Amino acid sequence: MTGPHSSRLDVWFWLTSALLMALVIFLLYPILTVLSTSFTGKSGVSGWAIFLSDPQYFAALSNTILLGLAVTAFSALIGVPLAYVAARFSFPGKALIAILPLTTLVVPEVIAAQTWLMMLGNNGLMTRSFADFGVALPSFYGWFGLITVMTFIYYTYVYIGTLAAIRGFDVQLEEAAQGLGTPPALTRLKVMVPVIMPAVLASCLLVFTLVAGNFAVATILGHRVPLLSVMTYQTFVSESGGDPVMQSTLASVSIGLVAAVLFLQRWIVSRGRHEITMGRGAKPKALKGLASAVLAFAAALIVIISLLPLATVVAGAFTFARGPVMQWGRWTTLNMERVFLNSPDPIINTLIYAGSATLLSILISTIASYLIVKKRNALTPILDYLAMLPLALSGTVIGIGLVMSFNTGWLTLTGTGLIIIIAYVVRRLPFGVRNASATLYNTPNSIEEASISLGVPPVQSFFKVVLPVMLPSVIAAAILVWTTTVAELSASIVVYSGGRETMPIQIFRLIDSNLMAQASAYGLVLVVTILIPIIIATSVFKIDLFASK
Amino acid sequence: MAAIMIDKVAITYGQARVIEDLSLTIGDGQFFTLLGPSGCGKTTLLRALAGFLPVVAGRIMLGDKDVSRVPAHLRDIGMVFQDYALFPDKTVYDNVAYGLRARRMPENDIKARVGEHLERVGLAAFPARRPAELSGGQRQRVALARALVIRPTLLLMDEPLSNLDAKLRVQVRETISDLQREAGITTVFVTHDQEEALAMSDMIGLMKRGRLEQVGPPGEIYRHPVSSYVADFVGGANILPVELTAPLAAGRVRSLALGAATIDATVPHPLAAGKAIVIARPEDIAIADVATGEIAITGRQYLGDATHYRVKVGDGLSVAVALHGQGHDRHEVGRKVSLAFDPSKTLVVAE
Repeated sequence: MTGPHSSRLDVWFWLTSALLMALVIFLLYPILTVLSTSFTGKSGVSGWAIFLSDPQYFAALSNTILLGLAVTAFSALIGVPLAYVAARFSFPGKALIAILPLTTLVVPEVIAAQTWLMMLGNNGLMTRSFADFGVALPSFYGWFGLITVMTFIYYTYVYIGTLAAIRGFDVQLEEAAQGLGTPPALTRLKVMVPVIMPAVLASCLLVFTLVAGNFAVATILGHRVPLLSVMTYQTFVSESGGDPVMQSTLASVSIGLVAAVLFLQRWIVSRGRHEITMGRGAKPKALKGLASAVLAFAAALIVIISLLPLATVVAGAFTFARGPVMQWGRWTTLNMERVFLNSPDPIINTLIYAGSATLLSILISTIASYLIVKKRNALTPILDYLAMLPLALSGTVIGIGLVMSFNTGWLTLTGTGLIIIIAYVVRRLPFGVRNASATLYNTPNSIEEASISLGVPPVQSFFKVVLPVMLPSVIAAAILVWTTTVAELSASIVVYSGGRETMPIQIFRLIDSNLMAQASAYGLVLVVTILIPIIIATSVFKIDLFASK
Repeated sequence: MAAIMIDKVAITYGQARVIEDLSLTIGDGQFFTLLGPSGCGKTTLLRALAGFLPVVAGRIMLGDKDVSRVPAHLRDIGMVFQDYALFPDKTVYDNVAYGLRARRMPENDIKARVGEHLERVGLAAFPARRPAELSGGQRQRVALARALVIRPTLLLMDEPLSNLDAKLRVQVRETISDLQREAGITTVFVTHDQEEALAMSDMIGLMKRGRLEQVGPPGEIYRHPVSSYVADFVGGANILPVELTAPLAAGRVRSLALGAATIDATVPHPLAAGKAIVIARPEDIAIADVATGEIAITGRQYLGDATHYRVKVGDGLSVAVALHGQGHDRHEVGRKVSLAFDPSKTLVVAE
C-alpha cells in the first residue's frame, strides 16, 4: 500500500514544477502561438477563411489523407501477413526477418527517398537499364514514388505491432475453439482476428500519423502532388519574416489531423487492452516443400527491398560521379575524401547538436518518467500529457512554432545552435519518456523506501537504488533518441541557419541539386553514426532495444 | 519503559482520513502485532511509524523522542516489506551492507557485521548471489538481515510472510521470532493472518476501520474477546444470537436456549434484557449421540488430527464443532446428537 503524497511540497514537487515550466515555454507556448496566429490576418481575414476559399489548400489536405490511407493499407498488406508468417512458421532464412525492425532505425527517411531515386528516379540505375531494353518505367515522382517509398519505410511498424499481438495471443483460445467443432481456418478468423485487431489497427493509425507528418519523402518525391507538410514548409520558407498567418493555419490543420487520429488510436488501444489474453505463444510450425519455398522467397524479397537503401548508399558513396551523372561501376574514394577533408562541418554539427540533445533529452526523460510513474502529485498528470503532446506534432510544426516564438523578444533563439537542440529535444520527448519508463513500472516502490529506512535521504536513494534499476532502459532510450535525432530533418530544416547544417539537411540539399554521390557519402557517414551505438548496446551491453515496443 | 507511544494521531491517505485519534503504547522489546482485515488501517499506521506517511494530528514518541516530524531516513528504523524490496542489482552482501555503508562504518567492521547477520539467517553461503537467484524464503531472510544489521531502535514488518507458501511461512516465522527475541528489539508486525499473530506476538492490537478494537496478549484476545468482531476474526467462533428475557449480572454462568440446544455461558459484563450474542469456539463444544431429538449432524470434515462438524440446532441455526483427541471422527452425518458448551469458555456479550 503506497500512494501519492499529494499534500507534501517536497523536492519532487519542485522538480515537476521546473520541468513543467520548461515544457510550457518550449512546447506549449510555441504551439499556442501557432494555433492563435492562424486566427489573425492582415486585413481582418483569418487564415481559416483563406484556407477554405483557396482550393489548393483543400487539395493538399485531401491528398495528405489519401496518401495516408494508401500507405497505411499497403503497410498492413505487407506487415500483417509477414508478422503472421514470422510468428507461426519456420522456414529457411527466417532469421533475416528479425533484422527488419532495425532497418527503420538505421535508414533515415531522407536516405530512403534518395536511394530509391538513385534506382528509379529519372536518372536512376534501374530506369536507365530498363530504357536500354526499350521499356519506359513510369515516373517515380508523385503518387507512385510516394506510396512505394513510404510503404517500405512504415510497414515495419505494422509488422512489429502485429507480431507482438500474435505472440501474446493465447493458442489455448484457438485450441478451445477447435475443440468446439469449428474447422481450423474458420477458427483462426473467428477467434484470432478480433483479438489481434486492436493492435493491428493501432499500428496502422500510427503509420497514418507518420505519413501525414512526413516531410523528407513528401518533399523529395512529391513534386506536383500538393501535400500538407510540404505546403506548410514552403509557405514558411517563402514567407519567412513576412506574413506567418498561412503557415500557422496549415500547421494547425496538420495538428488537428494527427491529433484526431491519435485520439482514435488511443481509444482503440485502451479498448483492446483487456481483450488480449497473455498466454503461451504458438510454437512456429516448420514448413517444407513448395509452401516453404514460396514463403522464403516472399520474405526474402521484402527483406532485400528493405535493405536496398543501405546497399545503394554504400555503393553510391564510392561511385564516381560527374555532377549529377553517376558512373556506376567506376569506384572512387573521392566522395568520402570530400566529406571529411573539404566540408566536415555537417558531421561536426550533427555530433554536437544531436549529442547535446540526447544528453538533455535523457536527463529530462529519466526525471520525467520517474516523476510520472513513481512520484505522482497534482502536477504529474499534466507533465505526462505535455510529454506526449509532441506525438501529435510533425517536425515541421514544432520547428515553425519555435521560430515564431523565439524570433525576437525576451528570448531570441533563432540563428543559434540552441534552437536546433531544443527542437530535437522537444520532438523526441515522448520517445525518451516512454522508453526510459519501461522498467520503472515493474520496479516496486518499496526498494526506495527500504533505502530511505536504512538511512539514505530520498534524493540519494533515487541515485543509489532506483537509477541502477532504470539504467538498462535509460541506455536503450538514449540510443533510440540518438539514432532518431541524428537522422532528424523536418524540424531542424525549419530552425537551422546558415553554417549550422546537419548531415540530413546537407543530404537534403544535395538531393535537391541532384548530387547523389556526394549525398551518398554523407549518407554513409550518417548510417555509421547511427549504427555504432546500436552495435555497442546490443552486443556489448546486451540491451534489447525493442523491449518496450 | 515504553518504546513507542502513539498519542492521539490522525493519518490521512490521499483525501481520506484513515486513522483518527488513535493512541497506543508499545513496551520496550515487545513483539507487537497489528492485526486486521485489509483496509483496516494497519499498514497506514505502520507507514506513519516509518515516516512514509505524515501524521496530521497527535504525535509519535520513540523512546523519549518525538519523531512525528522526523523524516524517514533519520528515524533509525529497520523495515521489512511484503515484497522483500531487495535491491535487484546488488548482491546479498551489498544489500545487507547498504545501511551500514550509509552510516559510514569502516568496511572491515561492515564485513564482520554482515557476515554475522547472514550467518544468523542461514545465508552465509550466498553472499555473492543476486536477489533473482534466491527463493522467496531466502529473499525474505536477506531482507530481515538487512533490517536488523543496522541495529535499529525499532523493527517494522509489513506482512513479511504473505508472499511465501504455507510451509516456508512457518519456517520464516520461526526465524523472525528467534531473531527478534535474541536481539530484544521492539517490533511492530502487520498481518491479516490471525494464526501468525497468535503464534508470534507478545501483544496484539486488533484493528477495525482505523480504530483499535482490542489490545492485549494473544491468550486474552483469544479467550476474552471484547466483541463478536474480535472473536470471529481471531480463531473463528460461533456467533450465536440469543434473546435475554431479563438483565444478567456479570460473572455468572447462565443457561440460554438456542433452537433446540441449551448453552451454558459466562457473562463477563452486565447485560440488559433483549438481544445478545453468544461467542463459542468450535473446540469448546462437545458432542454426544442421543436416540431422539431435534439436533442433528449435517456436515463433517475429517482433517486427520481433528474432525469438524456442522450441527443443526434449529431453523437456519447451525453450530460449528471441532473435536480433537481419541475418536474425534466417530460421529456420522445424519445422527441425532446433543451439544455441551464449556461454560467457562463460552461467553455471552452485548450485540
